[in-house]
Amino acid sequence: MMEQFHTVLTILLMATATYLTRTVGYVALRNRKLSARSMAVLEAVPGCVLISVIAPAFVSDQPADLIALAITLLAAMRLSMFPTVVIGIASAGVLRHLM
Amino acid sequence: MGNSQMDIAENPAELSAKTEMWRGVVASAPLILGVVPMALVLGAQAAQKGLTLAQVPLMTGLNFAGGSEFAAIKLWTSPPHLLLIVAMTFLVNSRHLLMGAALAPYIKHLPKRKAFPALFFMCDESWAMGMADARRRASAGISSSFSLPYYLGASASMYLTWVLCTTLGAFIGPAIGHAETYGFDMAFPAVFLVLLKGMWHGARAARPWLVSLVVAAVTFLLLPGGWYVPAGALSGIIAAFFWVEHK
Repeated sequence: MMEQFHTVLTILLMATATYLTRTVGYVALRNRKLSARSMAVLEAVPGCVLISVIAPAFVSDQPADLIALAITLLAAMRLSMFPTVVIGIASAGVLRHLM
Repeated sequence: MGNSQMDIAENPAELSAKTEMWRGVVASAPLILGVVPMALVLGAQAAQKGLTLAQVPLMTGLNFAGGSEFAAIKLWTSPPHLLLIVAMTFLVNSRHLLMGAALAPYIKHLPKRKAFPALFFMCDESWAMGMADARRRASAGISSSFSLPYYLGASASMYLTWVLCTTLGAFIGPAIGHAETYGFDMAFPAVFLVLLKGMWHGARAARPWLVSLVVAAVTFLLLPGGWYVPAGALSGIIAAFFWVEHK
């Protein structure tokens, strides 16, 4: 019971944090302009966050996972979202099965 | 006769809003193809981490930001580490700050009662579609270039697909079994790498990413838990701050 409450509370706070990210930029900037420097730093934020989240995949101790990641990286450079996801899942699934 | 004249007088605006909304739904179709498997995987992984069939749509429907939900589920323990997950959600979604800032000039003519609900549905895809459409319409000489119904049509189809398919994923998840066995966990890096490609502005601008990658990987190897994400993200942002100054 306590744990269910904790889960729902976490979800509600997640949703609040996300809605803040969606509205703060609009509220702050609808009447203002940011300095070029602030914009440049802000522009780096999303990429830094995304690559940090997937960093563990780059130092996996499973050779199959590293090869699958390399294949996925190549796919991501050339293809769109859907084929990349399919190739990523398929290469990881097949290589783990074989190796 | 009088009625049909009324219809003609009233219909154009209403018809055009409906047409615009439908145009958004149709334009979002290729993206939906990519969203469905992602949503199924997320729902299945959330169920594996112990979220109930009601909690999954609660999360995906109120939060509606896939990247942060994948990150949260990855870090999810039982009970969840509340501060870590909420902080991570904010960091992963901090890109919305920029997106909202970029969207602001296009929607500042809208009343707040329309702008704030519209922003709730701002995801990577609907934002990108709305912005691209606004640029096309502006270059075609249309005065109010941002089409709110077009954006809402695209958003609605993304939203419904996301909430329904994550719930379906949670429902059929146990039948799929552990995602790792089949390689479904590779969906995370795959999606994030494609998103990164979309943000690529040359190797020079991407140097902070390398800092983040190295610091996050080392932190992951040395420290337990999910701290590698804020450690990597903050180091990259600090690097970006100094590199900008030295330009």
